Amino acid sequence: MVPTQLQQAALAAHRFGLGEADLDVVGGDARGWLLAQIGPADSQRGSPLPGLSQALAVQIEARRQPGAAGNTALRNQVLADIRARLQTAASTERPFAERLALFWSNHFTVSLGKGSSTGLVGAFEREAIRPHIAGRFADLLMAATTHPAMLRYLDNFLSAGPQSRVVQRLQRRSALQQAASAQAGEMATPVAPAPPRRSGLNENLARELLELHTLGVAGGGGAFGPWGGYGQADVTALAAVLTGWRGPRPGEAAAGNAADDAFDAFDANWHQPGAKTVLGRSYAEGPQALRQVVDDLSRHPSTARFIATKLVRHLVADQPPPALVARVAQRFSQSEGDLKAVYASLLAAPEAWQPQPAKLKTPEEFVISSARLLRLGDRLTARAPDAGLSALGQRPHAASSPAGWPDSAADWLGPEAVWQRMAWAVQVAERLGGNLDARALAQASLGPLLSQASRQQIERAADGAQALTLLLMAPEFQRR
Amino acid sequence: MTSDHPLRRRTLLRAALGLGALAPLGGLSLAGQAAPGGPRLVLMLLRGGLDGLGAVPALGDPAFAEARGALGRYAQPPLPLDNLFALHPALAGLHTRWGAGELLVLHATGLGYRDRSHFDAQQVLESGGERPFALNTGWLGRALAGGHNKGMAFQSAVPLALRGHAEVDTWAPSARPEPAPDLVDRLQRLYADDPALAAALARARALRGDRPGDMRGGMPGDMPGGMPGNMPGGAAAMAGMAAPAAGGRSAPAALARQAAAFLAKPDGPQIAVLEMGGWDSHANQVADPGPWANNLRQLDAALAALHEGLSTPAAGDTWRRTVVLVVTEFGRTVAINGTQGSDHGSGSVAFALGGAVRGGRVIADWPGLAPTQRHDGRDLRITTDLRALFKTVLVQHLGLPAARVAGEVLPGSASLPLLDLLRG
Repeated sequence: MVPTQLQQAALAAHRFGLGEADLDVVGGDARGWLLAQIGPADSQRGSPLPGLSQALAVQIEARRQPGAAGNTALRNQVLADIRARLQTAASTERPFAERLALFWSNHFTVSLGKGSSTGLVGAFEREAIRPHIAGRFADLLMAATTHPAMLRYLDNFLSAGPQSRVVQRLQRRSALQQAASAQAGEMATPVAPAPPRRSGLNENLARELLELHTLGVAGGGGAFGPWGGYGQADVTALAAVLTGWRGPRPGEAAAGNAADDAFDAFDANWHQPGAKTVLGRSYAEGPQALRQVVDDLSRHPSTARFIATKLVRHLVADQPPPALVARVAQRFSQSEGDLKAVYASLLAAPEAWQPQPAKLKTPEEFVISSARLLRLGDRLTARAPDAGLSALGQRPHAASSPAGWPDSAADWLGPEAVWQRMAWAVQVAERLGGNLDARALAQASLGPLLSQASRQQIERAADGAQALTLLLMAPEFQRR
Repeated sequence: MTSDHPLRRRTLLRAALGLGALAPLGGLSLAGQAAPGGPRLVLMLLRGGLDGLGAVPALGDPAFAEARGALGRYAQPPLPLDNLFALHPALAGLHTRWGAGELLVLHATGLGYRDRSHFDAQQVLESGGERPFALNTGWLGRALAGGHNKGMAFQSAVPLALRGHAEVDTWAPSARPEPAPDLVDRLQRLYADDPALAAALARARALRGDRPGDMRGGMPGDMPGGMPGNMPGGAAAMAGMAAPAAGGRSAPAALARQAAAFLAKPDGPQIAVLEMGGWDSHANQVADPGPWANNLRQLDAALAALHEGLSTPAAGDTWRRTVVLVVTEFGRTVAINGTQGSDHGSGSVAFALGGAVRGGRVIADWPGLAPTQRHDGRDLRITTDLRALFKTVLVQHLGLPAARVAGEVLPGSASLPLLDLLRG
């Protein structure tokens, strides 16, 4: 069934965008409205928002100074980043681009739950993700992988090649110490020297780079696969390729030079010497190897399939239609990961425009779309920087694992989830419901998506606050 | 016979039924009726890959010290179990259960799946399948299917382990005031054409009719609608590891207390599922105090809270009828890695504790720790299939027919042995 022009506008606004108060904003050419938005994401609202160097300086200062001042500065930075994220989403006039920025931030999750990346997530999104959402996938992948926030979150800044200069030096030093104490006649029984703190490989980033960011888990994918194609040896070899990628040196970070966010992320002293073989190809020693691996991974057929599946799942259905996934994957491969072409192919697919809202909004999508419906703008974060998202189970920037937040209703829809959304809606509606007409709002925003039954329920509400609550909790608003 | 005696309470239930429709909120919830006096099962999922060899070191193995290096050296003396094994010093509460004969340790155990992906391994762990995504329901969900017993999860969403059965409740504390009954009724009508939302709402309502005590205070350490007050310091303490799944430092113990309160009720759930994250210790596992050791302390506190809550006078003999399983999706490398931690591995440890457990023993077909004895030269080898533990609990504790367990609840488990786990 081909959707009408008004239905298309509603779907463009709510499914592909982040929600609109008035469908007039979309106009008569829904697909054109969306296509015109494809490009790098806007600069975020709120200023000044720190780049990585400045953000890292604040984090390091907080650790150096256990006590109020440093911690407060870090905490304020974290909250400013969260506010910026939510306020930007609540106000943007390019909501499709914003949605894609949020999608890729989740795909390349860096979380504040780990001390090494606390305070850096905002800078990561601003520098590694937002500028690259509509270019080539390989460029986005390289930026995300080598950004110091990611290098810290997945421990790569601690990873050293076992034969790297740094490790060799430490081993020589501890051997000398042991020889010296033996010579001095100390200790009849030899004491094992304290192991050097940074003595070898950490596989965390390598594994997630393959499993979560590009090829997908080996043997996975089901109807959408095959994904993967890598083995343990590839993980280890890729970890060796990644050694040396650490981020700014302590001196650079402490200087916190906000005017110059260029940094030398690669330190050859930590890099594992020699060639490495990843997925059957050999890569020479040195920093250029990573870019080559990134390009090769971006061209791998599993990557096309894995990324296509995630995109279709995000924009169309929890159970992505396999034929659509296959077409999007093919577009990805043919265009060599040109994300703009990939998005266009998705927007051209009839499956993406089926009129019944199906995808359940995540808590963040629910909150953002409510803010846009009610034109809250910056008031969204006036009472709490996270707009109440912690209580809804999705604290911003705080995904509990590198896999990020899940993207299907089964993961979000428990009895408590509904109850908490209702409690959130009641709070908002009690403040605003008396001053607006929820029926008119429902009509202007949801238009043809609103069912007759829901319209009636809203019309029969006991008062303005209740009517607004019912609108926010209606199935047509909880889904997109 | 006190007025709380299960028999008298059932009589009250029947009388209430006779009085006609109950109010939608308040009043007794009638979803499922577990046999009062029946077995109770708690599954505690440790997500991230617990280093079993670190939690239960094989000190008596001559190869242990060299194999583990700094990972095998502890800030305080480990707590002895038997000639071969000990407990990490942070697990003092568990050690007390050991002394009481209520803790059984299963070592060198794991799943048939070996590719070391968290997400796939957790899928196998919870689904009970032999390969990732072979099954998309949970082994506990299938165990409950078609019966009168209930399952309950202590988080916002239903974990895979419990999926596949309609009667699963979830419970997570909320800091906000309760919405008016009128609104809730209207919402239920609004969801007339959306079965998923309708079902979720209906169960949330039933749960509130049933909720013991007043739990509207929110989670300790959380600010309503905002960040936890201890954030930066707590985050710094987590350097090198992913944070635990629930917010707030005491969250696992608080949820365990809630679980115990529900399980102790005669018409409470038969099965509860809890979980904890933060076990993926690629870096900084050695420090104590440190993030990994502190996580063990939180686990110990949660298990102690379960024991306490199920042993109160009001709980009657619930603890004696309870088995708590603590499992993880895989273990970690025997040797320390380059960042004072350990990478993904294979064999790990599982705990079974409870009054129904014949404890004070370690079950382990110990494979040894020399490099040639390790799986892929790096991991503790698996010598007991973890599903044998599940099978034993399903057949001998929950009393499911063996044919049903082998056929549909844990397909492919027919050849697995039953472990010597339970009392009596």
